Amino acid sequence: MLEMSIKLGKYLGVLFLLLCFGTAFGQAQVTGKVYDASDDTGIPGANVLVKGTTTGTSTDVDGNFTLNLTQNDAILVISFTGYTTQEIPVKKGSKVEVRLEASSKLLSEIVVVGYGTRKKSDVTGSVAQVGTKDFKDQPVTRVEEALQGRASGVMVSRSSGNPGGAIKVRVRGVNSITGNNDPLVVVDGVIGLALNSINPNDIESMEVLKDASATAIYGSRGSNGVILVSTKKGSSKPRLDVDVFTGFSYVPKFIDVLGAYDFARIENSRRINNGGNAVFTDQELAGFQANGGVDYQRELFQTGRTNNVQLSTSGRSGKINYFVSGNYMKQDGIVMTTRYSRLSGRVNVSSDITDKLRVGVNLFATRENNHNNLDDQREYQGSMILRALTWDPTTPIRNDQGVFNNYSLRSLAHLGYNPIADMSTRDLNLITDRFNANINVNYRFNDHFSYTAVGGLGSSNSTNSKYLTTPPFPAAFFNNGQTSLLQMSNIMAYEQVFGKHNLKVTGVYEFQQNTYSGNGYSATNYLVPSGFYLAELAAGKNLSNDYNKNGIESLMGRAEYIFNDRLFLTGTVRRDKSSRFRKDKNVGIFPSVALAYNLSSLPMLAAVESITNLKLRAGWGQVGNQNIAPYSTYPSVNINGGYPFDGKSLTPGSRPDGYGNADLTWETTTQYNLGVDLGLFQNRINVSVDAYQKKTTDLLLNVPVPAFAGGGAVLRNVGEVENKGIDLSLSGAVINKQNFRWDATMTMSKIANKVVKLDGRSEIQGSFLNIDGSGRALNVIQVGQPLGQFYGETFLGTWKTAEADEALKVGAKPGDSKYLTDENGVTVLQAIGNGMPKFSWGFNNTIAYKNWDLNMFINGMSNFQILNVTQGLVVGATGNQRGFLSPTQLNQWTPTNETDIPVGGQNRTASSRYVENGAFARLNNVSLSYTFKKIKGIESLKVYASGQNLVLITGFSGYDPEGSDRNYDGGNDDTAAGVNVGAYPNPRTVTFGIKIGL
Amino acid sequence: MRKYKISNLLGIGVLLMTLAFAVSSCLDLDEDPAKSRLAPGSYSNQAELELGVTGLYVQLEAMARMTTFMVSGWGGDDITTHKVSNKADFREYDQRSVSALNARSATNWASIYSVVRAANNVIANAKDLKLSDQNAQNRLMGETYFMRALVYMHLTRIHGRIPLQLQPEPIVDLPLASQEEVYKQIESDLKQAEAMLPLIYPNVSAGAPRPNQGSAKAILARLYLDWAGYPAKDQSKYALAAAKAKEVIDNQKSYGFSLVTDLESLWTIANRFNSESIFTIVYNQPLGVGNRKYGMLGHPSDLKGWQETFGEIRFFEDFPAGPRKAATYRLDYDWENFTDQTNPVFKKIVGPKGDIPLTSFDTDRNDYYMRLAEVNLIFAEASGRSGNVTPAAWEALNQIRRRAAGKPFATPDPSVDLTSGDIAELAFTERKWEFAGEYLRWNDLVRMERVKEALSQRNPRTSKNKAGELLKVSNPIIGSLEKDNYFAPIPQNEVNLNPNLGN
Repeated sequence: MLEMSIKLGKYLGVLFLLLCFGTAFGQAQVTGKVYDASDDTGIPGANVLVKGTTTGTSTDVDGNFTLNLTQNDAILVISFTGYTTQEIPVKKGSKVEVRLEASSKLLSEIVVVGYGTRKKSDVTGSVAQVGTKDFKDQPVTRVEEALQGRASGVMVSRSSGNPGGAIKVRVRGVNSITGNNDPLVVVDGVIGLALNSINPNDIESMEVLKDASATAIYGSRGSNGVILVSTKKGSSKPRLDVDVFTGFSYVPKFIDVLGAYDFARIENSRRINNGGNAVFTDQELAGFQANGGVDYQRELFQTGRTNNVQLSTSGRSGKINYFVSGNYMKQDGIVMTTRYSRLSGRVNVSSDITDKLRVGVNLFATRENNHNNLDDQREYQGSMILRALTWDPTTPIRNDQGVFNNYSLRSLAHLGYNPIADMSTRDLNLITDRFNANINVNYRFNDHFSYTAVGGLGSSNSTNSKYLTTPPFPAAFFNNGQTSLLQMSNIMAYEQVFGKHNLKVTGVYEFQQNTYSGNGYSATNYLVPSGFYLAELAAGKNLSNDYNKNGIESLMGRAEYIFNDRLFLTGTVRRDKSSRFRKDKNVGIFPSVALAYNLSSLPMLAAVESITNLKLRAGWGQVGNQNIAPYSTYPSVNINGGYPFDGKSLTPGSRPDGYGNADLTWETTTQYNLGVDLGLFQNRINVSVDAYQKKTTDLLLNVPVPAFAGGGAVLRNVGEVENKGIDLSLSGAVINKQNFRWDATMTMSKIANKVVKLDGRSEIQGSFLNIDGSGRALNVIQVGQPLGQFYGETFLGTWKTAEADEALKVGAKPGDSKYLTDENGVTVLQAIGNGMPKFSWGFNNTIAYKNWDLNMFINGMSNFQILNVTQGLVVGATGNQRGFLSPTQLNQWTPTNETDIPVGGQNRTASSRYVENGAFARLNNVSLSYTFKKIKGIESLKVYASGQNLVLITGFSGYDPEGSDRNYDGGNDDTAAGVNVGAYPNPRTVTFGIKIGL
Repeated sequence: MRKYKISNLLGIGVLLMTLAFAVSSCLDLDEDPAKSRLAPGSYSNQAELELGVTGLYVQLEAMARMTTFMVSGWGGDDITTHKVSNKADFREYDQRSVSALNARSATNWASIYSVVRAANNVIANAKDLKLSDQNAQNRLMGETYFMRALVYMHLTRIHGRIPLQLQPEPIVDLPLASQEEVYKQIESDLKQAEAMLPLIYPNVSAGAPRPNQGSAKAILARLYLDWAGYPAKDQSKYALAAAKAKEVIDNQKSYGFSLVTDLESLWTIANRFNSESIFTIVYNQPLGVGNRKYGMLGHPSDLKGWQETFGEIRFFEDFPAGPRKAATYRLDYDWENFTDQTNPVFKKIVGPKGDIPLTSFDTDRNDYYMRLAEVNLIFAEASGRSGNVTPAAWEALNQIRRRAAGKPFATPDPSVDLTSGDIAELAFTERKWEFAGEYLRWNDLVRMERVKEALSQRNPRTSKNKAGELLKVSNPIIGSLEKDNYFAPIPQNEVNLNPNLGN
């Protein structure tokens, strides 16, 4: 896979080389035409100026110009109000075509850096930017999809294809073993909002702050990187945009499982092998051979449908800018009855009350409904998908009376409830209403001083109501959770230019408070199977409650100094005080410094024509992680459940739960970053390379307590994790002609993660417990190794007839599975693979030819493995799955053909037998659009068709190597990356849409 | 100019207001878990102590409701499991080849110690508590000691030597205690319980759902019988076992104990609270705390069962015919001709006909952690082994024999009664039949070192199917039957976390 990405890189390089020979020679005149890049119409009246002189002209009504040159080479500066100024190098006699981008694109030159914006050229830290233009050609329903593969150092993996399901975003690897590794999300200055609830169509740009010199301004919350989201503002020209698309999605492949006939036949032989009796008669077998039984996997999946309608209007009227949008999205999953819908609305208004005072209000409201979400309703012993894969193919879905067969008629294969009956009759609705209001006030005292206040108010109200029909009696569960967030930021900014010296100072005082309150009940054993709202009729009732509150108070200072547009120096310090730690441990100070130098202005480089920009950056900083549950420093008492002394009602009881640790404090990550930005051929090609090292100390680590000492784990600050990596981003205009333009961007990230130190031990067990009922962890954290180690047996095939005596010593017989044992005959448990991808890349191409636009986005990850427990259960005879269901069993061991497919013995699902290479390349998006121009009364009309996940190249045998799972009860999903216990597959989607601009 | 000033003023106004708001923020950075959590640490009143004690039952029930709790019972010659199905952990016990990776052992081990931790917490939290109702405090503390003893004894019967955790703060590097130390600790807790518990726990149903003095004495008798046998083999404990058992028998009325007339009635849901149980674990399926050891688990797949707990064929063949056999097995089944696996079905597990629906694995059945019948038989056996055989000892044995024969247990009956012979061995054999399928037989074989003798004779002799073929034993022995293989290995994970347990 690495090879493949290198090849792609070479390919791109060759293309870039080809571009270098495109300049013409000749006369003393320069002629050209200036176009509006958006519709290729000429711009009349644009200014064309020879740089450094007063020589200039304006374009005619068609956008053409002619200019006499006095020297051989010159740089033309072309500008027009409302458009981005461009500088074009010319030689005598050349004919140039210039496309000016409309000024909404101006943002691409401005980078949001947190508590302010900077010119891209002034940025000292490592910041990746993703703008609307980067994903406008792909129908995105989720913000994470827009980020995927488009920002180097940012890994986005879709671990579940469940509509509305989790998408994992990681900036420069993972630091924390126990805590959360999600990056901090800041939306229009408000910290800590949920990325998945934002309507991607509302986004103007996203900046990912990667190195500590950039993230340190977020102090104790910056260690996982920061994603700054800026939503759209109105621009000068009033417009109305309508975007409608509809998509069809389906499961890209099916996993091979045995049909009823083979299953029944092998089940018979399995029983006879073990001294039992056949369960199917020859007549029954013949019946299955003729009729085939039920394929539960195919019954479970369906073709899903997505509908999306987006309406937005923006503009400027007098002193008021506005952007108003509404979006409705409904997505049917590829698993029957799963569905996600989102209705959202946004109003962004800002007003220049005076030329010094500007007030803006952003309001955002959404309602999401997750129906029958499989990720939310986790199954203790594997997912619904796994259940369908392992359900008895000889039991019909319904009996002769048309009633569901709830369980396998002969207690074969999976012992759980019929998945089709379950999905058809369950009714789970997780409805989340979110409301965010953000008020910002900016006042400029004079040219140097300004003050900004940001007040953020967020509230989220989610109700999770579930009605489950698992026999014998239905049950209902209800939970209502209310979260509220209050943030107040005060930002003072000072900026002054003294000759060649430019100084900026920013001071921030900020606090934020979050409260959560949840109440719920469960109603089990419905006496009448009558649906969610008749919970009163349930025999068993239980209550649950939760409340917590946390707060953080911060001071931040930042000083920036620029000398002669060459030397850039930034220093920041943030002081955070967090409620999550005890009084003497709750203050953290997080400093950073960064230095950048623009070499392109040096005389020796200025002479090199091809180099337009060359900037070196170096940075150091410290950031923290306070991401532990509130009250973690206190021991806790469990008051769930109760005991029925009288046999009729529960008496509540209390028992010790968490141990608590009063000494807890922040995890600290220290990061070094070195970067180079290179712009070639008037920035037609841009290369950005960053190398970094991150060391996380005082890890917040859940240290397991042996069961005999009480079990569970104690959270402690011990250990160290290190991440080293390189991020590369390469972009350029491969072809830049009037009617043909090809832009390509390649991003690559390589990362090496290592656990440097634990609490003195060389390894601690993870917390992702296997689903086979063995109660054993699937993962382990080992010193000297990356996070994400799998833990289990080493599979050695089968015991052969010649080894019968040896086999007997471990209680096995020939044909049974064989595992590595030590000299004492004890099965060896050790690391058997690693699930954390070490290399990821993305390759985005946008090709515009006349009215056609083609976008092709390929991405991939490599250097990781998958522990395919799903396959382990399909093979079967373990956990809840009692038979053999894998076609590999057709080649099982026999005394005459001693293959390595066991016929008996323990099928350990956490063994090297089920570890697979996870590398993949995916054609993530292809979209083709046609723009109709010059239609009366319509600004723009575009129709498009696109496909997502059309091609997946991988050696992985399951649905999708990106599909991985979380533990049944949650927990850190990075220490157990790459574990598949029945993940919801990523769908293949085909979408058709139309965009109209008025 | 004027406009400039106004806007300037306005700006400063906004600034001041915001700053004022910021400075006077209601931000509270001191956590107060008390709003949503029960405070940990010392108790200050009876309600808190009661919550803590009930918590022990919650933990006990969470583990006792699963067959995992009884996994060592499959070692006995009375119980077996399915040959092929996902019962590998049970088969390991059944076939005497228990791996250190056995998941049931590990789960059970962890669950036991979570009760121990909870009990240690109650004891520590109540250290300085002085309730005005001293009886209530004694009663509750007596239960706590009783519970800790109960679970430690349960565990030592499976693993032999175990680490003894006796304080709430975890000690992570404890060594294995000697067998003697383990027994002494259990004895000490039970004696505390005996002293603190009332004659009858107030306001409870029959069968001691909360233990009383008699319950503690009965478990003590069981402890002494174990102590006198393998591996500690302190023969002096037989006399103590007999004496304790006699105290229970003599005072059974004051503890609310008595034998039930009809043995079979014990295995019905209707009779789940009865006077024969000296300590009952109570279940309630609709409330989410059903008992998952019965019903479907004892049926073969022919009857849509989960085929976890079956009767062994040879044991069934040897079982003396009569009302007790009929109360123990489902004799109405043609089990020799089941298609999937041919083993007898325990009535004790699946219930009398019609009592538990075929589709139910989660039931309201209660567990009788120990029955008065066992106290009777401990008295008889320990009297014999300590050389102090009295008419009372014969009467204790005969009561069980009379009921087994379907006669009134309290009425002497020469056709059933025994008055001579080796009472110890007679009582030992009586236990075999009386407690078949109650997961107790394995421990009898261990303490009397009769594992080899019993398990070498498991092959069926008379049971045939329709085709006239002699049935085969379901899970043949593959491990050693010698003493060094009596106890299950300490779960490997625990040894990994604390290598001291490997010694």
